[in-house]
Amino acid sequence: MSPVPNRQSDNPFNLKIMDAMNRLVPKRLIMAGLLLLLPAIVQGQQTQGPPTAVLVSGPELGEMAPEFTLAWATRDSIGPAGSPYRLAHRRGKIVVLAFYPRDFTTGCTAELRTFGDQYETMFGKDVEVVAVSVDSLETHVRFASSLKLPFSLLSDPTQAVAKMYGSNGSEGSMRRTVYVIDRDGRVFYRNLRFGALDPKAYDELKAAIREARGS
Amino acid sequence: MKAIRTLALVLGIVGATSAVGWAQDEGISVGSVAPSVTVKDLDGHPINFGDLVGKKPMFIEFWATWCPICESLLPRVQAAHARFGDRIAFIGVNVAVNQTPERVKRYLTQHRAPFQVVYDADGVSTRAYNAPQTSYIVIVDRAGKVIYTGVGVEQKFEEALARVAGPEPAER
Repeated sequence: MSPVPNRQSDNPFNLKIMDAMNRLVPKRLIMAGLLLLLPAIVQGQQTQGPPTAVLVSGPELGEMAPEFTLAWATRDSIGPAGSPYRLAHRRGKIVVLAFYPRDFTTGCTAELRTFGDQYETMFGKDVEVVAVSVDSLETHVRFASSLKLPFSLLSDPTQAVAKMYGSNGSEGSMRRTVYVIDRDGRVFYRNLRFGALDPKAYDELKAAIREARGS
Repeated sequence: MKAIRTLALVLGIVGATSAVGWAQDEGISVGSVAPSVTVKDLDGHPINFGDLVGKKPMFIEFWATWCPICESLLPRVQAAHARFGDRIAFIGVNVAVNQTPERVKRYLTQHRAPFQVVYDADGVSTRAYNAPQTSYIVIVDRAGKVIYTGVGVEQKFEEALARVAGPEPAER
C-alpha cells in the first residue's frame, strides 16, 4: 500500500529530512544544538504566545506500526500478567490506537467517553480499540469502570511505546494522538494532534476506519 | 563554517517541528486576544463573537450535556450571571461531540441556562480557543484580552469576573 498524505491530520516531522541531516552533520552536533536551544523552547511556554513546541515523530502512513507489548486492564479487571497486549497478535483486525494524557483529568473526559458511548456506530465489530496512558492498571480499572468503557486501557508508565509513536509528552503525560492500523499491521491513518472537543477529528477518524475496512 | 552550517540546520529542524508539534490540552494563552469566531445558536442564528470582543467583557464556557462537572458548575455560573450579567456577556458553547442540538434542547428544559447557548457544530470556536476539555472557562476583558482560563469544578472564576466587570452601576 502506498502512503496517502491526506490520511493524516497534522503534517508530522519528516524523518526523511532527519536522514539527510544525519548524513550532512554528526548526530552529536545536532543533539548538542538542540540541547542548547531547549531552554528557549521551554521558556516559550512560560510566556505569552504559542505553547511549547514538542518534537514529534512516529511511523509514517503505510509503514509497519511498531510492535509493542503492554499490560492492560478493562472496566472489570486487570489483565493477567502472563497475557499482555501484543500488537503483533492483532493481525487481521483494524486497530485504533489512542494515546491520551491521563485518567481522571480535571475536566470531563470527552474523547474516551465518546469512543465508549458511540462504540458500535463509530468502530464496529472488526475494529479493536485500545487506549494508552501512563496511568497504573488499578487507575485504569476505576477510570474504565466510571465511564463504562467497552475496550481495554493499556499502561505505558515510562512512555516507551508512546515515544515509538511520537506521542510522548512533557510533564509525565502523553500527547493526545490516534492511529488506525490496518489488518496487515500498517499505519493507515494518524492524527498527531487529536482534538478531543473537535467534531471534525471524530468525523475524520470514522472516515479513515471506513476506508481501512474497505466499505 | 561547518559549525555555522550545523547551527543553521538545527534552527531549521526546530523551526520545522515547532509548527507541527504544539503541546495540546492547554487552551488559549492568557494575554492573547480572544478570537472573533462566528458560531450558531440552537436555532441556527449566527452569533459573532466579534460583536463583543473589545466591546464588552465575556464569560465563555465550553460545555456538554454529558459533562457532570459542567452541571456541578451551573449554580455558581447562575450566581455569577445574577451578579455580573448586566456588565458581562455570558456565552455557553456546546461542543458538538457526543451530543446533538436536540439533546441540548431537552437538557435545557430541565436546567436553566445562565448564558446564551450556542452549538459549535463545526468546532470553529473549540479550535480557535484550543478548548481542551468541557467545563473550560475563558474570561475576556473589555479590551478583548483573555485574562483567565480554567477547567474543572475547583476553578475560581468569580474573582476574574469581578475584575473585568468594573464597578456596579449606581443604584437607581
